[in-house]
Amino acid sequence: MATEVAGELNDALKIDKSATPDMVHAEQKHKKEKKVKENEKSKKATKAKMEAKSAGAKDSKKDTGLGLTVKKKENFGEWYSEVVVQAELIEYYDISGCYILRPWSYAIWESIKDFFDAEIKRIGVENAYFPMFVSQKALTQEKNHIEGFAPEVAWVTKSGDTELELPIAIRPTSETVMYPIFAKWIRGHRDLPLKLNQWCNIVRWEFKHPTPFIRSREFLWQEGHTAFASKSEADEEVLTILEFYRRIYEELLAVPVIKGIKSEVEKFAGGLYTTTVEAYIPTTGRGVQGGTSHCLGQNFAEMFDISFEDEKGERKKVWQNSWGLTTRTIGVMVMIHGDDKGLVLPPRVAPVQVIVIPVPYKDIDSNALFGACTHTSELLRKAGLRVKEDTRDNYSPGWKYSHWELKGVPLRIEIGPRDLTNKQVRVVRRDNFAKEDVPLSDLVSRVTDLLEDIQSSLLEKARKERDSCIVTVNTWDEFVAALNDKKMVLAPWCNEVEVEEDVKARTKGENGAAKTLCMPLEQNDLPEGSTCFASGKPAKKWALWGRSY
Amino acid sequence: MFAQWVQSHRDLPLLVNQWANVTRWEMRTRPFIRTLEFLWQEGHTAHATKQEAEEEALQMIEVYRTFAVDQAAIPVVVGRKSKLETFAGAVHTYTIEAMMGDRKALQAGTSHNLGQNFARAFETKFTDENGASQYVWQTSWGMSTRMIGGIIMTHGDDRGLILPPKVAPIQVVIVPIWKSSEEKESVLGGALAVEKSLKAASIRVKLDASEQKTPGWKFNHWEMKGVPLRVEIGPRDITSGSVVTVRRDFSGKASKEFGVSLAGLDVHIRKRLEEIQDNLLARALTFQDENIVDVESYLELKAAVSEGKWGRGHWAGSDLDEVTVKEETGATIRCFPFNQPEASKPCFMTGKSANEVAIFAKSY
Repeated sequence: MATEVAGELNDALKIDKSATPDMVHAEQKHKKEKKVKENEKSKKATKAKMEAKSAGAKDSKKDTGLGLTVKKKENFGEWYSEVVVQAELIEYYDISGCYILRPWSYAIWESIKDFFDAEIKRIGVENAYFPMFVSQKALTQEKNHIEGFAPEVAWVTKSGDTELELPIAIRPTSETVMYPIFAKWIRGHRDLPLKLNQWCNIVRWEFKHPTPFIRSREFLWQEGHTAFASKSEADEEVLTILEFYRRIYEELLAVPVIKGIKSEVEKFAGGLYTTTVEAYIPTTGRGVQGGTSHCLGQNFAEMFDISFEDEKGERKKVWQNSWGLTTRTIGVMVMIHGDDKGLVLPPRVAPVQVIVIPVPYKDIDSNALFGACTHTSELLRKAGLRVKEDTRDNYSPGWKYSHWELKGVPLRIEIGPRDLTNKQVRVVRRDNFAKEDVPLSDLVSRVTDLLEDIQSSLLEKARKERDSCIVTVNTWDEFVAALNDKKMVLAPWCNEVEVEEDVKARTKGENGAAKTLCMPLEQNDLPEGSTCFASGKPAKKWALWGRSY
Repeated sequence: MFAQWVQSHRDLPLLVNQWANVTRWEMRTRPFIRTLEFLWQEGHTAHATKQEAEEEALQMIEVYRTFAVDQAAIPVVVGRKSKLETFAGAVHTYTIEAMMGDRKALQAGTSHNLGQNFARAFETKFTDENGASQYVWQTSWGMSTRMIGGIIMTHGDDRGLILPPKVAPIQVVIVPIWKSSEEKESVLGGALAVEKSLKAASIRVKLDASEQKTPGWKFNHWEMKGVPLRVEIGPRDITSGSVVTVRRDFSGKASKEFGVSLAGLDVHIRKRLEEIQDNLLARALTFQDENIVDVESYLELKAAVSEGKWGRGHWAGSDLDEVTVKEETGATIRCFPFNQPEASKPCFMTGKSANEVAIFAKSY
């Protein structure tokens, strides 16, 4: 009941000053009816009881616009579910594990896409589009590969009311779609290197708990597929792409990542080796794979008979890579930077970088006020910034502050009567709430500097926190203790499959098993005689372990 | 979802677009034109008033028309679909109709005024400024990879593709020609210089310097791929400080221009590309005009269609009449063009007074 009252009160804050009590009442009644309908709809949703519950709770809070009801550190899962919906990134959908990407999140994906697309074009990669349907025959051609993906493949078995003669799979990844065609296109060494990429959607019918952006049954990504005459060329590209991925995380999303090589257990099914950028969510103590760049070796070339005649006229198999980055990037960014007020967006990807809000006061000349807002916005827009004005008269400034903080806009500019008089604006940072008055004459340079500072502060803060969460251990007990402390563990390891499987089995608990996140590319020296923390055998490499998404 | 996102008039207009892939299990497929899976954009908008929705639908068909004409050099007839041909659930469907090389019509983009039909179905309501609850007015509009098929079939000839410069991935291909290795060095040097200067002028250029293929092979290859302009450089051109240009839209002697000076080459080429773009459009327009026949009787329409042409005539027939025409001639109403003649005339089929002409044609 209390929430209802609070809801109505806050509805009143939002309503026209010109509205009559009847209108208010009518709108509230209408909203209530809608709420009931929405609640019924969401209860009918298939799995994810949690989604339905939080959707129900959210609906009543949605109208208040007061923000999140859960604190990040107290209930991370609920906080995340709330923030992605309240900040208008995501809408839940009636098929479990599928999510609607609203413009606020799609714009972030477009920023990432623009950056990456430009970089890969520079190294000679071309975009193409292959069908999303795969025949069973093609899908099962590489045995290890299909074993890895088989349980998650979605099949089309009917068209209209007719059963298909042969069921058709929807791509879980496109190696088996593209490589038969590579075999056709590649004849001689002059057809190499072949460098293709596609931006598309992927379906993996996951059974693990779905989480918006992080793990969904359909997601968007890019997948690059390249073929070379030599292994060294392939090796080089693997690292070039990995560096682009690192830049996306660190330079665009302000998320620190560690470059590494995946263990044999964790590498891409059917490939030679997998490199990865690993991020870490301190609040949950979980690692998250940020993007992978694989060297497939010649395995797929063998399976799909992709060969070429080299300069000497000998028949050789090509060396291939594949590399992919998904909309998971957005989820990682939300988890790292968000706070109890909502999203915190790095300026480089924020769809709106500066929100300009007029603060009217009784007798103020509103024309002058709105004029100042427009003038400020235009100045900033001309400087290439993404600016929006919120001049809606049915929301109070206070409501707007909360709303745009929830949506994570990096910088807020408030203009009130005092600012008009003093030819200044008030600027407020989203990351640390620092306020300052900025004279109009200084506006563009100060705002630009502030945005750059926010971008680098976010990264630095995240990096510090991440670094403090890595514990170096040498023994099993130390390992378990650190894990239970929600840390990432750096440990000397013998690099054996059975040992990793054993560690997984031994750490399986309610929090999920620990696994290798990667073997960092940057390796400190292993002291002589180091032994593996788990098996006692001679240690070969430092490995980063943790629980993960 | 719109039903959830739209509550008050302040939430309107809602304007959303997505670039996505679509699956339609078609019976008869044709590359680009009709495929099981295709790429497109689909825009979906919701408005507070009937008028705004109509304006949006018309605005978007104009955007499609502009693309077709200005970028793809495809002259299209813009118009309104007949009731039978209108999108299921829409009030009006607007279309751009293109004439392909075989004179069949290709629907190249559509924009629908959905009225309140979907709003009623999904209960998409908003509270207006007076506090009353109203259904929204919606539009949707889409253009797909079918447009690429349109470009192929409008401009292509027996040597292959012809791509309008504005959409061609490569606008200019440079083919160096040499016989001896002494010639090679100077010719290649000159070719590289030309490539550099054209790139600097933001022209999409490619230098085909591979030694495995003869110049003749390269000429055929890039003509097949529809590159609008070819630049040839041989030893004599190096000596004279000029190049030869060859236009893809002409054949034989008319396509070649000799002694094109290196000085100001980029400006010259840019001008040529513009001319090619204009010529492709003009040519297609002439072809279209030659193949639309004004008809005043059903007999005339049948004759026009059997000759493979489009028939344009006053129409006041019923849905049944329209079906009859389709069954008997294979032609459907492509649209009632926006561009209408002044006077009313009797419908060419029923004789009733008709104030609109319709265009009939066989189509893809």
